[in-house]
Amino acid sequence: MARMKFLCDSDRCIECNACVTACKNEHEVPWGINRRRVVTINDGRPGERSISMACMHCTDAPCAAVCPVSCFYTTADAIVLHDKDLCIGCGYCFYACPFGAPQYPRVGNFGSRGKMDKCTFCAGGPQQDNTRAEYIQYGSNRIAEGKLPLCAEMCSTKALLAGDGEIIATIYRERVQRRGYGSGAWGWRTAYRETVSI
Amino acid sequence: MSGRTDGTAERRGFLRALGLAAAGATAAGAAAAQTRADSVPAGQARKENEQQRVAARYRETDHVKAYYRTNRYEH
Ligand code: SF4
Ligand code: SF4
Repeated sequence: MARMKFLCDSDRCIECNACVTACKNEHEVPWGINRRRVVTINDGRPGERSISMACMHCTDAPCAAVCPVSCFYTTADAIVLHDKDLCIGCGYCFYACPFGAPQYPRVGNFGSRGKMDKCTFCAGGPQQDNTRAEYIQYGSNRIAEGKLPLCAEMCSTKALLAGDGEIIATIYRERVQRRGYGSGAWGWRTAYRETVSI
Repeated sequence: MSGRTDGTAERRGFLRALGLAAAGATAAGAAAAQTRADSVPAGQARKENEQQRVAARYRETDHVKAYYRTNRYEH
């Protein structure tokens, strides 16, 4: 069974934010919420590096471990999804997530934040069939359409890889071998407890 | 897909109405924030059973294979 993963080849990312924009447009993500964002370190200095981040769909997801209403579930292809009809907006998952992925439509405590929203790996929600109700809550379901996450498909420099973890690791490995350098599969050890050995 | 388009149009219509109602902008803005990303009315939400919701969704279609192939061109 294929295990879905993200891999950002940070040697290629140019911080254009196309992935962020593609995601917002595809899912009509509301104002104030970003399912994906680009983080730049050493901005404007030698060694500048950008990484596109979203929910990494972790193995044994920490968000699922802390959710008091058990709204998370992991599909057989390892996509971590959540059920907004159960979510009470407590914000625990935000504190548990090593990548800061969970977002809330409103500001406040004790349920007043609204239902949590995060990257779905473009796989919709509990219903797999692209219904209107599902789109309103979770956005589109490209995986059901036989496609991959739009952020990765739209990446202007092919920095952001998504899909079968073994295949994208092989693609990254081949790139690093050909160009002779690579800064590693960022976030993989935290999310998947492994790295891409070159 | 048609369902999706309907939903989009509906939300956009809602936002357009918001734009017209310039007066109550602040109050209406708060309502807009609640419309998306929150739940649809409970009656509309259909739940599949536990096995269906965790079933594998990914398929290695021609579209997906083309993505892997074109990403191999880059170094
Ligand atoms: S996989 Fe889909 S939902 Fe997740 S960041 Fe990419 S475009 Fe957004
Ligand atoms: S689209 Fe690609 S190059 Fe542009 S910011 Fe996103 S990951 Fe980086």
